[in-house]
This record gives sequence, C-alpha cells and structure tokens, in this order.
Amino acid sequence: MLTAVVTQSGSAYTVHLASVPPDSTAEQTISSEPVALATVTSDSATSETLAFEPQIAESGVVTASEAEHEATVEVNPGPSPIAPELKEVAWGGGSFVVFAVLMRYVLYPRLKKGMDARYASIRASHEGADATRAEAKAEVAGYEAQLAGVKAEAAAHIDAARQTLETERAAKLAAVGAEIAEQRAAASAANDAARQAVQSQIESAVGDVSGRAIELAVGKTPDAAVVSRVVLEVMSVGVAR
Amino acid sequence: MFGLEFPPINEILRWHDLFSSFNKISLIAVAAAVIGSLVFLLAGSKDATVAPTGIRNLAETSVEFIEDSVIMQTMGKEGLAWTPFLLSLFVFIFLCNLTGIVPILQMPATARIAIPLFLSLLVWVIFIGTGLKHQKLSYLTHLLWPPGVPVALKPLVGLIEFFSTIIVRPLSLTVRLFANMLAGHILLVTFALLSEAMFQAETYVPILTIGGILPFFMLVFLTAFEVLVVFLQAYIFTILTAVYIASSTHAEH
Amino acid sequence: MEAISHIAAVALTGDEQKKANAAIGAGFAYGIAAIGPGIGIGYIVGKSVEAMARQPEAAGMVRTTMFLGIAFTEALALIGFVVFILIGL
Repeated sequence: MLTAVVTQSGSAYTVHLASVPPDSTAEQTISSEPVALATVTSDSATSETLAFEPQIAESGVVTASEAEHEATVEVNPGPSPIAPELKEVAWGGGSFVVFAVLMRYVLYPRLKKGMDARYASIRASHEGADATRAEAKAEVAGYEAQLAGVKAEAAAHIDAARQTLETERAAKLAAVGAEIAEQRAAASAANDAARQAVQSQIESAVGDVSGRAIELAVGKTPDAAVVSRVVLEVMSVGVAR
Repeated sequence: MFGLEFPPINEILRWHDLFSSFNKISLIAVAAAVIGSLVFLLAGSKDATVAPTGIRNLAETSVEFIEDSVIMQTMGKEGLAWTPFLLSLFVFIFLCNLTGIVPILQMPATARIAIPLFLSLLVWVIFIGTGLKHQKLSYLTHLLWPPGVPVALKPLVGLIEFFSTIIVRPLSLTVRLFANMLAGHILLVTFALLSEAMFQAETYVPILTIGGILPFFMLVFLTAFEVLVVFLQAYIFTILTAVYIASSTHAEH
Repeated sequence: MEAISHIAAVALTGDEQKKANAAIGAGFAYGIAAIGPGIGIGYIVGKSVEAMARQPEAAGMVRTTMFLGIAFTEALALIGFVVFILIGL
C-alpha cells in the first residue's frame, strides 16, 4: 500500500510518498493512516492525502528503501498577479522604446511629409480657386457695369422715341381738331343760312297769307311793311315761347 | 450542482513560457510594435498626393486624432512636437489592449502589470524631465507649492502636491490601464466558462443547454463592449500623458 | 440555519476559514469601492451632457474634460479592484 501526502506551502507543492503495510484496506487508510503521516510533516500549511490503488504498490514501483522521499512538483503558480515580471517589462518596454524611436525618426516624419505636401497642394489649389473666383467676380462686375450702360442708353433711346411720338401725335391731334372745328363752323354757317332762308320764306309766306286774309276780311290792302312787322313779332314770340 | 469552479487567477493570466525569457506577453508586445511599425511604414510608402485610402487613411486618421483630440485639447499648438511620442504610445497601448479580444490570443498584454508599469514610469520620467528642462529648478518648487500659497500652509500643501504628483500620478496611470484590462479579461473568462459549463453540463438537463445561450450572448456583448474599453483606455492613457506633460511645460498660474 | 453554521464551523480548518474571510473581504472591498466612483461618474457624465446640450460648440472641450474626470474618478474604483485581486485570489 502506497500513500502520497501532498502538502502545499505557499506556492510550492511537496509530495511525500510513504509505504504502509498492506494489511489494512484502502478505504480504511484514508481515515486512519494519513493522520500520522500528516503530523510527520507538521510544518506544512495544508495537507491532503491520497490513497493510491493497491496494485501500484504491488507492482513494485516503489521499493521500501525509497519509501520516504520528497519530490517537488512545479505547478507554475507564478508570482502574484500584480507583481511585474522582469522579462515582460524588458520585452514590452524594449519593443515600445524601439517603436517610439522608429516613429520619431522614420515613420512619423515620412507620413507627415506626405500629409503636409498634400495639404500644401490642397491649400495652393484653394488659393488658385479663390483667385479664379475673384477674377470671375471682377469680370461679372465689369459685365454688369456694361450692361447697366447699355440699359441706360436703351432707356434714353426709348424715351426719345416716345417723346417724338408724343409730339407727333399731339400735332396730328391738333390738326385734326382744327379741321373738325373748321368743318363744324362751315356746317353751322350753312345751317344758319338755311334756317335764315327758311325763316324769311316762312315770313314772306305768312305775310302774304295774313295780308290776303286781312284784305279779304277788311277789303283793304294792308301796308305790307306793317304786316311783315307784326308777323315777325308774332313769330318771334312764338319761337320764344 | 453546477460544479462551476473558477480557475486561479494565475491560470487565466499566465501562459507557459515560449522559451525561458520570452512568454506570450512579450510576444504580444513585440507583435504590437512590429505591426504598428509595419502599418505606418506601408502607409508612408503609399502615394501621398492623392486622397488617402486604406492603410494610409488609417494612419493619417490616427495622426489627426492625436493632433486634434489629444494635443490641441490639452497642450495647444506648441505641443504638436509631442505627436510622435503620443502617437506611438497610443498605437502601442491600443494594439496591446486589442489582443484581449482577438481570437486565439485572447489576452490583453496590458492585463499584466509589466507594460503599464513601464509605460507610466517612462511617462513619469518624461514629464519630470520636461518640467526640469522648461522651468529649470523652479519646477521643483512649483511642483510642491503652486504660486500664491500662504507660508503657513506650505508644509501641508507641499506634502499633498508631492504625494499626488510624484506617487499618485504614475501609480494611477498604471493601475487604471492594468486594472481595466484585467477586469475586462476576467469578465470575458467568467462568461466563457459559464457558457461552456452550461453547454457541457454532465447532468443532462435540457434547460441548462438552452440557457447556456444567455451567457454566450453576454459574452458576445461584452466582447463588443471591450472594443470600446480598448480604445478608451489607450485614449485616456495618452491624454493623461499629454495633460501631465502640458502641466510641466507651463508654470501653473 | 444554526445547523448550517455549525457544519461550516466544523468543516473549516483555520486556514480555510482565513481563506473564506479573505474572499468575503475581497468582495466587500470591490463592492464598496465601486459605490463612490459610480455616483461620481454619473455626476460627471450628466453634467457634461448638460453642458454639451447648452453649448454644442464647446462639445469637444467638454468631452475631453469629461474623459479626464472619469479617468480620475474611476481610479478609485480600480484601486478597490486591485485590492480585490490582492486579498481575494
């Protein structure tokens, strides 16, 4: 029967192997035997006991002479998680320093040179564009001034034309008006003459008729001048009425 | 009942050494430096006159990011000379963080304290050196006493300022980066273990196998969240570096 | 309940008891350390959003300052996390 006592002290594990007389069964050794063995290595912090299967002991792997020997098993516990390891500091720091130096003297200047060149060219194109724009603006201003001149000229022409038209029209209107007035005067003169003629005819006719009527009634021929005066008076009264 | 046992933390953080003085963290750090250099080398060798595309676009975007949102916001125009250093800091930390969510690697190099510690000590040396260079020996008195402190308060203020500038600054830089990445890593490991244990539960209960989808979704979601954290931690480390350097180039008024 | 505590007292050796206490302490260390920074980050982000909404043209500066504030506040929680790792694992 082989019993292994694994003790842990700090980060290292130590394994004690001890051979036990095979008169007791494996189940019982777990409770009885390891207590005695654990007291042998009383300096350890914790102790676990494992009872190997009996056939390992029977196969004679461990002889009685090397029954009690120590084997230290490294389980790679490592340092505390927040303790820096020298190799990591060295590799990490070394690679960072190399990277920073490369960046300072090679990588960044190359990149920056390209960026600056591009930005400079972009700025130059911007300035060119600005100049072109200013030029175009000046041209536009000139064109607009020209346009304004032309417009003013055209307006003057139009005004002059309108003026002449206006005077011509006024003259023609005056001429036509005069003609109309003249014709109207002629027509009214003819009218008056005709009315005069008709009135004198009516007077003479009425005088004749009244003279004749008085002659027939009185038997005397009245004075023509008196008759015509009376007729004229009556007619003028009749017309006035 | 589930028998889910979380492995000891060293098991999820340590790998077997590839050879005696070179382990996975070292590999990731070297790879980050090499990949960063390659990206910028390729970007620099492309035609610079046309509009940038692909890898050159990536590199120029990162340069402009550092210039616009880190330096101009904290140091102003005279800080632009620091661009290469801050850029390499940002790229290196970003790539070291990024391995936490790259399949197979699945381990942020900054979740071990070595690289954050080295970087913050480097930053510490640089900002103190910058202060000494710009303000000569008056930097040391400015460090302890901002101008205008009454004499009676000088011992107290000096103690506080010394503590906060000399000790807390590098310590908090280290711990912030390291603990953020470690926490993210532990979170991912937890959900990966949980979903694995539920998928392969020995007591075959169908509800367990089906329910295992939930931690798996959480795992996917957290991985996406880690992308944000990866970027943000690199950004914060860089911008704090810029702030510290800016504080030592100008005397506080 | 009494029975369970009795069993626990019997089953745990001194070393295991120490470990259990450490685990409990670690949990509390991180949990309590996260309260203050949680409130603080909430304040910072809330006020920053307010400021950005008021003055969108100052958003870039506010965002940078916000990240700085978050970083400083978060450091407290992360120190708690480190303590959790130190004593718990």
